[in-house]
Amino acid sequence: MRVSAEFDAASFVEKAVEELRRRIGDRRAIIAVSGGVDSTTCAALTYRAIGRNLVCVFIDTGFMRKGEPEEVYRRLTAPPLNLPLKLIRAKDRFFKALKGLSDAEQKRMAFRKTFYEVLSEEARKEGCTVLVQGTIAPDWIETLGGIKTQHNILEQLGVDTAKEYGFDLVEPLVDLYKDQVRAVARYLGVPVEVSERQPFPGPGLSVRAVGEITEEKVEIAREASWIVEERLKEFKPSQYFAAVFEDERVDSDRHLKREIARMLKLSEDELQLYCFKARATGVKGDARAYGKIVGLECWRRLEGGVDVDLFDMAVKRLVHWDPEVTRVLCAVTERCHGKYAVAIRAVMTRDFMTAKVARLPWEVLMEVGKKILERCPAVSQVFYDVTSKPPATVEFE
Amino acid sequence: MFIPVVFCGGQYNHLIVRALRELGVESRLVPMTTIKLEGLEAMEVDGLVMGGGPYSVRDGLEQFGDLARIIMEANFPILGICLTHQLIGKLLGGEVVKGSKPEFGKITVYVIDEDDILRGLSPSFEAWASHNDEVVRTSKESFEVLAYSDFCSVEALKDRRRPIYGVQFHIEVADTPRGKEVLSNFIEVCRR
Repeated sequence: MRVSAEFDAASFVEKAVEELRRRIGDRRAIIAVSGGVDSTTCAALTYRAIGRNLVCVFIDTGFMRKGEPEEVYRRLTAPPLNLPLKLIRAKDRFFKALKGLSDAEQKRMAFRKTFYEVLSEEARKEGCTVLVQGTIAPDWIETLGGIKTQHNILEQLGVDTAKEYGFDLVEPLVDLYKDQVRAVARYLGVPVEVSERQPFPGPGLSVRAVGEITEEKVEIAREASWIVEERLKEFKPSQYFAAVFEDERVDSDRHLKREIARMLKLSEDELQLYCFKARATGVKGDARAYGKIVGLECWRRLEGGVDVDLFDMAVKRLVHWDPEVTRVLCAVTERCHGKYAVAIRAVMTRDFMTAKVARLPWEVLMEVGKKILERCPAVSQVFYDVTSKPPATVEFE
Repeated sequence: MFIPVVFCGGQYNHLIVRALRELGVESRLVPMTTIKLEGLEAMEVDGLVMGGGPYSVRDGLEQFGDLARIIMEANFPILGICLTHQLIGKLLGGEVVKGSKPEFGKITVYVIDEDDILRGLSPSFEAWASHNDEVVRTSKESFEVLAYSDFCSVEALKDRRRPIYGVQFHIEVADTPRGKEVLSNFIEVCRR
């Protein structure tokens, strides 16, 4: 095998800066930054190319993580980045736009619409005629493939941004994958808290409050994600968070239960198996799948690391049993009352195109679960998501 | 060396381009709907990789543009992945059916015949798959089965007469650790 040609961040930056200057010229440009690696790197790159002609805005959608707006503002405006950043509070607008919606795609579409309305108003105020975006390859690949509408995909879907929103669109990172963006970030001196930060979806916690959006669910997703991040960061998963959905169940096939129990090396009465009414997004054979979530409860103390291979077999069997299954969760901790279920998700991946379940110790997951039950009184049970991508996606919606 | 990738709408198509470039080959995506055999010949391609996509061969061949003619008449090597592996299987006399046990995620691929593209990969290796349909033999097919898995009888195939190959699994994703070796083997075929 030949030695692989590594991605060269220095020559990428040199070419991208030149291209940005050519495309933007003397015009003023606007970029929405979230504090994540894609948008921050894109802002740093564009700032290097056109300096103060770039206006950076941070839109607080209300679906951000705990303390995030303030933290991002502080980090991006401080050295070494020193980005000219404007904080826009738009929480009420986003909540109003998403309220009552429960279908994953409808939620994403409503989020996107509000996002561009807020952004184009700001662009007009600032006299910007160019929009710079940190879109990367998996964003448009998933959107074009019809798996998820990523909030930043416009041109690739045939949206004429000049006509619709009044600006030209420039996307300097559009051919890169996450690991390559991180290389560019490091090269540009983006702080390590940003360059190595785990991805956070544009629509934020709205896709982790699975199903209908309510303030209570968003708040649980925020608190539970915070607990998960604090406790699991030492294990360095590629992405890790919590999602919340209504704990409403339908019982399942007895024969199937026997088979899955055998696979997991349990006796039949040591396993509970059911489906939730909530639905989650998956990806099967290059097509979007929006389907069932299966819950497993093993009534025997789970010890050591999560046996990913064993669960992998169980997931396969469950998908063969019912092709609508997109996600399988294994119970971690429970109590007898509460309206919601929370799922802990932690995956390992190079580029987020495929992903493996992180082999975390059950003891640590139980600790996280206990804390979530403590802090969120409306939660009845905490699960660990044991589904790879495919058939699931990393996020639930 | 130039090996374009036919974009068939699949989410991993772009990763094939990335992998080819990392192996020192020039590559870019060409769209399934508009690409023609003459166009590829004019580009003087050394070979062609075709990606996966959200379609089904069972819905007919019209949706694949000129791909069927390209597969049957090209004078350069071709490698089809997932959906286009199935297209090759169908054109070479096999049947494409909805699998009773579709594969999503990790699978084990068992090598029957290394031939060219699976060189060095015996007896088995780990791969990632994501498919509902699969190729089955009919006794009239003009391809050799190079590999199978626990749930799918044709994981890799080769035309008996020409350097046309198909793999059901995804060689281009990071979770297929030895996928690059398959691609490398295919590049070697194109070099001949």
